[in-house]
Amino acid sequence: MAQAAQRLAKAAVAKAPQLLSAAAAYSRPRLATFWHYARVELAPPTPVEVPKAVESARALLRAFRAGRLAQLSVREALRNGLVATEVLMWFYIGEILGKRGLVGYNV
Amino acid sequence: MIPPVEVSPLIKVTRYSALLLGMIYGKKRYDYLKPVAAEERRIEEEEKKKREEMERIAKALAEASEDTILK
Repeated sequence: MAQAAQRLAKAAVAKAPQLLSAAAAYSRPRLATFWHYARVELAPPTPVEVPKAVESARALLRAFRAGRLAQLSVREALRNGLVATEVLMWFYIGEILGKRGLVGYNV
Repeated sequence: MIPPVEVSPLIKVTRYSALLLGMIYGKKRYDYLKPVAAEERRIEEEEKKKREEMERIAKALAEASEDTILK
């Protein structure tokens, strides 16, 4: 048992550079793709966009008052729900950053 | 590669304000919970000390009142 563990540790140490380069080779193109989209889609709003956002929030409120909710298709409602959930999750990311700990409140 | 989607400004603004709100909330809540937990730990420590003292006295008493010829 101990010998097997030793062999395993030795193999891991011997193969570490190989594994690391494999990991890098695997993740580099994927990270490039992620960055290609993230720099546009996850960018914070520019000051120019803030009034536009306020305007579309108003439009949303108007649409809600006009009874747009009853005319939504299931597909649209589902999509809106997903978007709202995603935005809500940003709040929890912020909470994690604010309490400086991933799990619970480490007091 | 297909071009990235133009995300609605409303979504962007709500995303980042939610992030900021979350950070403020997390900080506030942490600062509120920290002294509460410290107080609880202090009380726990005091009670433990008291309990150990009582146990020590009870043990000493029991030993003193024991009927034994081995003393």
